[in-house]
Amino acid sequence: MLVAANVFAAEVSADFSAANKLYAEGKFADAASAYEKILQSGAQSPALLFNDANAEFKAGHLGKAIAAYRRAAQLSPRDAELRANLAFVRNQMAGATVRERFWQNWLGTLTLNEGAMLTAVLFWLTAALLIARQIRPALVPKLKSVTRLLVVLTFFSGAVLAVQAANHFLSATAVVTADNVTARSGPFDDAQTVFTVRDGAELSVLDQRDGWVQVANGTGKSGWLPAKLVEVLPGA
Amino acid sequence: MSAIKMRFTLKTLAVLWFVALFTGAVLAASFTASLDRDTFTLGEQATLSLKFDGVQPQDAPGLPNIAGLQFQYVGPSSSFSFINGQTSSSITYNYIVTAQHDGEFTIPGMRADISGQQLASAPLKLTVTKVDAPSAAAVNSGNEVAFLKFIFPKSKIYVGEPAVGRLELYLRDDVQNLSNFQLTSSPTDGFSAGKTAELQNQRRRVQVGNRVYTVIPLAMPLTAVRTGALTLGPFTASAVVVLPSQNQNGDPFFRQFFNQGEQQQVTLATDPFNVNSLPLPEQNRPANYTGAVGNFTMNATAGPTTVTVGDPITVRVQISGRGALDTVTLPPQDAWNNFKTFPPTTKQENSDQFGYQGTKTFEQIISPQNADVHELPELTFSFFNPDDGQYHTLTQAAVPLVVKAAGTSPMPTLAATKTATPENQTPQDILPIKENLGVLIPNNVPLVAQPVFLAAQAVPVLAFFAAFIWRKRTDNLANNPRLRRQRTVAQLVRDGVNDLKKFAAENKSDEFFALLFRLLQEQLGERLDCPATAITENVIDEHAILRRAPKALLDSLRELFQLCNQARYAPVRGAGELNSVAIKFEKATAELQEVKA
Repeated sequence: MLVAANVFAAEVSADFSAANKLYAEGKFADAASAYEKILQSGAQSPALLFNDANAEFKAGHLGKAIAAYRRAAQLSPRDAELRANLAFVRNQMAGATVRERFWQNWLGTLTLNEGAMLTAVLFWLTAALLIARQIRPALVPKLKSVTRLLVVLTFFSGAVLAVQAANHFLSATAVVTADNVTARSGPFDDAQTVFTVRDGAELSVLDQRDGWVQVANGTGKSGWLPAKLVEVLPGA
Repeated sequence: MSAIKMRFTLKTLAVLWFVALFTGAVLAASFTASLDRDTFTLGEQATLSLKFDGVQPQDAPGLPNIAGLQFQYVGPSSSFSFINGQTSSSITYNYIVTAQHDGEFTIPGMRADISGQQLASAPLKLTVTKVDAPSAAAVNSGNEVAFLKFIFPKSKIYVGEPAVGRLELYLRDDVQNLSNFQLTSSPTDGFSAGKTAELQNQRRRVQVGNRVYTVIPLAMPLTAVRTGALTLGPFTASAVVVLPSQNQNGDPFFRQFFNQGEQQQVTLATDPFNVNSLPLPEQNRPANYTGAVGNFTMNATAGPTTVTVGDPITVRVQISGRGALDTVTLPPQDAWNNFKTFPPTTKQENSDQFGYQGTKTFEQIISPQNADVHELPELTFSFFNPDDGQYHTLTQAAVPLVVKAAGTSPMPTLAATKTATPENQTPQDILPIKENLGVLIPNNVPLVAQPVFLAAQAVPVLAFFAAFIWRKRTDNLANNPRLRRQRTVAQLVRDGVNDLKKFAAENKSDEFFALLFRLLQEQLGERLDCPATAITENVIDEHAILRRAPKALLDSLRELFQLCNQARYAPVRGAGELNSVAIKFEKATAELQEVKA
């Protein structure tokens, strides 16, 4: 199994270099397809998504670029280059869009797994201290302040993790991947037009049904978009 | 009447009904347009009704465009009558008519083609009269129920300079209520006007002539956008005021409670206000001036200051002060040649309700392009201060930087990027792709949704409960000498039985009975809660606790004691006999431990 994994990593690395070469030659659409192919094979890394986003942007696909940057940010949220590129690409987008709020940005500085690991470590440490207090009561006065601190940190970290998880599992964002997409009042092709959205618009997902995604555009309006014209990402 | 005849009669009546309805409708088809009044003052409104008799249009008819008039569709009303066999039906479409200026207007005759029928209405005349601000004498006389004043702080203003005009609504003290206040005309040609809003907590009462008025101030943010002689106003408004009822009939006592007042529509107007809008001076205009007008300060920070070539540095510039913050932009910094720059993001925090005072923050990402860069050059921002009529330039000192070479993995040079952003221009592009794939991350379900991860979190909880129970048991034992002795004796007996069997196997009779006697003493001492040395055969009959024990047990205990006594005098016994004694002892102690102490 280890050998197979090594072979797969080597293949991905070779494909990645080939896609980078296409990008360097200015064949951005080809490069984007090459990166996409690697992603479809099951491989995933922040650099791969970052480069895919760069290629999509250079190929003129604003929405696909934003979606890829956001996927990369979920894996590597503290990458300054990634944040700079995402901010730059977002600035190119005109029209209504929904951006992360301050608290969502703050929560996004850690991945969900990092948050889970941090909380687990704090929880285990707290439990270890509480067990030590049971086994050696003489340690209780010495461990009092550190135990309190760890209990507070564990609860805080747990609360943050809960909000982070709720944001990840209960909210979703749709990134529009085509220009001037019509949002309709119902999930039907002949439903009334409510508003139109531009390529790269980030919208809150309200519902998904039969190849349609219901979205809110942040100005109080909601409508249904064809699922094939948006990329749905977890988290608001 | 038979059922057949009844059915026939009903059918005949229904047919007659529809025939009458149809013929009535066809015969009476007409289209008329009317106004509820043909003259009103600017700021008021009239109702236009388009009535169709005997026909049913599919939709409300469209109205012609008439310069200076605005039509707002309100909705339809319909009527139907059946009198002496004659039916008539009509539908009326109603529109609110408002005027943008005074003058004579003609609403032309309109045509409607309904089911092949050509219908036409007659043209209508409408006169809109001008409304003037009341004279000073009229105001001072106290006859004006309400009047409007416009105050502008400056008669000379620079183009781009913001100022807040003030509309003051004066309401006479006997006005009981004000409703439907609406600015009907607010000419601000040459100005960009913001949203008019009431200034909170600034209502006041003033004496005008011989009457007291309540003043309601409204703020109108204005920014001059054109130079030359400009005129603000006259502003006109309409409102409905409620005045005390003039009907003085009835009991004065009840009148004070039930006087609902009389509504009166008032039309208000201000005098026009002339403003001279000045152009910004050409003289001494800084090269990097981008149009900021006001009085500002600047604060800039940059970080991190130790980076590798290509790394992003965030430059945060805060422009604070008074002026049109919306129009403040960060000028291009020509001295940043050695940096790749990206369009800044902006955030504005207003400290007043008009957006004319506050802080605008620019956050710009730049990245050094070579390791020869040692500082972020000084940053400059210029503005024109209308208070002193001068240009000012703010300069933020250079920020020292430590820029390291990119090392063994230089940033890839991209042909396309180079073409798009020549060296001598300010580059505006995304940061380049990454050369290294990095660690592949499995596309797994997040940890918090994995049952194994969640189950693992139960381990410390279970460990804690185990430790907690252990601690409770230990504390319990430490605080209960009886229990401690019970456990010690139980252990002693367990070990002792093994030793007894060993002595029996080795046929060591003396050691066997000595140990047996001691074990009996220890076990009975523990049960009877007295020292082991005080235990003899006599306690079996004397102690109250043992009286509750089964007789067989007591007999067995007596027998064991007697065997111990006999062993001191009797000859050595065989191994089999000793073994059976050991088993008997084991059984007796097991039963004894069941006796409630």
